[in-house]
Amino acid sequence: MFFTERHLALGCSSLRRGLWAVALGCGMALAAGETLFSNWAVAVAPGPNPGNLWVFSRGEVNQGVSLLQLGLDGSGKIKVEKSDVEPVDNEFSVVQANIYADKLAERRRIAVETAGDLGAVLPMFGLDESDHFLEPRGFFSLKRVGAVDLSPLDVPASAESIEKPMDYAVSGFAYQASKKILRIARGRLGVVEYDISKGAGNPKISNKVLEKKSHQWVKLPTSSNVDFSKYLDVWGLAENPATEEVWVASAQGLWLESADGTVASASKVLESKRVTGVWIGGEPLQAIVETSAMNKGNLEGGLWRKYLDSKEDFQRVAFLDSAGTVQKKDIYDNSDFTVTNVVFVGNKAFVGVWVAGGSVSGYLLLDSKGVRAHGKGGASSDAWLNGFETGVTDRDAIITSITKFPLDAKTMALAVATDGNGISVSADTGKTWTPILNRAKLGGNLGTIRMVPSVITAGGQSLVSYKVGKDSKITIEVFSYDMRRVRKIVSSAPRYGDAFRSTDPKEDFWDGMDDAGRPCTMGIYYVRVKDNHGHVGWGKVMSLGGGR
Amino acid sequence: MKRLHAILSLAALLLSLLASTAFAGVVEKKASLGGFDGFVERMGAGTRELGRGNTGSADTASMPAAYWNPAILGFRGNFGYTLNGEKRDLDRAGGALGVESPVGKRMGVGFAMLYRGDLDFEVIDDDDQTLGTAKPFFSMMYLGFSYRATRRDAFGLSLSMSYDNMDVADYYDNIDLNDGYTSPVSLNLGWLRQWNEKWSTSVVIRNLSFSKNLSSRWTKTVSGDNSVSSTEGVRPKVLQIGAGYRSKVMGKPVYAWMEALDYQLADTLLVFDTHWHLWTARMGFECEIIPDGTVRVGMDDVNYMVGLGYKFKIPIGKKKYLFDANYALTYESEAGLWNPLSFGLRGYIP
Repeated sequence: MFFTERHLALGCSSLRRGLWAVALGCGMALAAGETLFSNWAVAVAPGPNPGNLWVFSRGEVNQGVSLLQLGLDGSGKIKVEKSDVEPVDNEFSVVQANIYADKLAERRRIAVETAGDLGAVLPMFGLDESDHFLEPRGFFSLKRVGAVDLSPLDVPASAESIEKPMDYAVSGFAYQASKKILRIARGRLGVVEYDISKGAGNPKISNKVLEKKSHQWVKLPTSSNVDFSKYLDVWGLAENPATEEVWVASAQGLWLESADGTVASASKVLESKRVTGVWIGGEPLQAIVETSAMNKGNLEGGLWRKYLDSKEDFQRVAFLDSAGTVQKKDIYDNSDFTVTNVVFVGNKAFVGVWVAGGSVSGYLLLDSKGVRAHGKGGASSDAWLNGFETGVTDRDAIITSITKFPLDAKTMALAVATDGNGISVSADTGKTWTPILNRAKLGGNLGTIRMVPSVITAGGQSLVSYKVGKDSKITIEVFSYDMRRVRKIVSSAPRYGDAFRSTDPKEDFWDGMDDAGRPCTMGIYYVRVKDNHGHVGWGKVMSLGGGR
Repeated sequence: MKRLHAILSLAALLLSLLASTAFAGVVEKKASLGGFDGFVERMGAGTRELGRGNTGSADTASMPAAYWNPAILGFRGNFGYTLNGEKRDLDRAGGALGVESPVGKRMGVGFAMLYRGDLDFEVIDDDDQTLGTAKPFFSMMYLGFSYRATRRDAFGLSLSMSYDNMDVADYYDNIDLNDGYTSPVSLNLGWLRQWNEKWSTSVVIRNLSFSKNLSSRWTKTVSGDNSVSSTEGVRPKVLQIGAGYRSKVMGKPVYAWMEALDYQLADTLLVFDTHWHLWTARMGFECEIIPDGTVRVGMDDVNYMVGLGYKFKIPIGKKKYLFDANYALTYESEAGLWNPLSFGLRGYIP
């Protein structure tokens, strides 16, 4: 929506959407109408078949999932061939209420895993007494449209001694395909083994915790009086697909559970670290680890890597400038970054990150040398961050999730979810991105002007949605009710003729300000769009004002 | 010749004021007047006055007087009323009504209500879905009093307040959004002097308040749950100076009206820095081309108007009641919009 906290996050960037690109998705088959359940997408995950992509959205009131069937058109552009949406019980969400504000890295991501017959699995949060999604309840299982299941996890009596339910929030998954076991990292309550070898509808569930002293798994005590300080919180899990060993990210070190169940330290250098996440993949196989801890009130984070065919221990990931020179400071020195997910494609890793508050988000491109700056310089975090500035999204919305999925037999595609601007999909490993989001049908040659959304606060962003039949020079102006011009947005700006939308989201929006940069008062404003072919269209937007 | 000269002089003064407005716009980027509260007031009231460029503060016959210049009420001899309505392009509907009455021989009292709204505001969410249609409206009410100190001079004051309703709260169930916003009472002061049969002048000061800096400024609490930041309403202080000239050309009664308006954009008691002032001007001419039939032209800032008016009397019982029917066409030049639907009726009850 338009002015709640998260919107603000967008305007300030609209809420923080320093909004957004030209002719959104010039190749979309489903250009008009409802493509996604909502443009407030928070998670993406591979669907059941090639070309399928799950999108979990939370609207202002409702939430739901979309299963997209994506493909390539004749010119190689992404197209939406089919879209099915399904609402989800509003009592539950994949997003915890404080995901943008939480200080702890393990709580600032939405874990996603593809888990055989369970489909795509994501954490599930229920409402607490204050009606906030802060009660961990289990996980969502997205099997297919019509079979989006809520899979609750019991909270044992022993958990009563845990003061904050979020201490046992689900923050990681690892699925072992050969044994059909889904392992679930559950913070203070250790690990849940969700065995579906006898069918997804007949799971065998067991809980275990990692003893701090012996570093061995023991069954989760069920009595009501348990000293959890004897156990390590578990926040991340990853399986080595070659050996089926499971890597465990814990409150104190990184641990390796071999196939026979024994546990050993996986890294000397990380033994004393607070390891908040672990991801394995790529060619050659590599493990990426995130560490994050509060130190004297400051969050100290780090990104580490180890090639699994090497005997060398984990090393801090190098951050390079565009010339390949290693920089002394990395992205964690600039802000409180958190990894949302890591996606491996060949020898590259796409590390989804965002900062606390969500005002900066995107992904880091990690190659064999390190995280490579995409532009000139390299001293600032933005030089490494791929996001709105590099065209991943066409509006400055928060990138909340990243995944990969097979687009067809030959193409491995990437997808990111954005909180407010739908999703973006790349079929060329991040070189170009196609935004996909809900758009209403427009009349041609400025026949329809829609302000999206049409109610904003000053500092927010209302997109001027229009289309012209042929390439045009567009002028957009905003008038008050008494038809005094308060703002000229663009003047004779070139825009492409398009069958669906000619808007350039990076420029064609109104932020509720006048030409002098002052917030316009609460009221209705009229937006005139003119082209150089004599066409004129009008849209309406309401500003609820803003601080002066 | 003298009359023509006087009219041309008025026009030249007006043009110089307009030029200064344009010049100021080039030199400095000022906040836009359109971004401030008060558009209901700025758009005027009364079809008769609209047809001649929204000029009315120096005319003892203007209605509703509580809005135009409360001092006018001191010149009322009969109970008067006015009812006006208009529909402008882009679904904008507006209107004004007023009633006023003499009190004793030297005083008058009047009430005015101004209304503006949009009849078809499409509420669109972030998903580009139309949630429905809202009908937001904005209104201002005036209660005016006047005392005629001499045969030629009257002084008046009016109390004004606004009530706006955005009509969108129903579309946002998850936010405790407020729709209605009421401003505190502002004070408007007026003076009108009828120098002679030809000339009249007026001074109106609008939007003084009882708060700091005498500014008409107030807080609008947008949501009850603080999910949306509160905002402020600000109606700039206005100094409105008007003049009227009555004469005859070729035996036909001719009237010329002009007003110069200064809007102080700064929230200070008084500031002389031109950056914080915005000037506009209005002028209008009318000619009674047939008995009781008047043609009007006018200009309000960069908007142009044409008006028609016709007076007639209807005997009811032993009395004859005067009615004055008016029409105006407005061209909002900056936006390029024609508005041909403004109608008004006014009259007196003897």
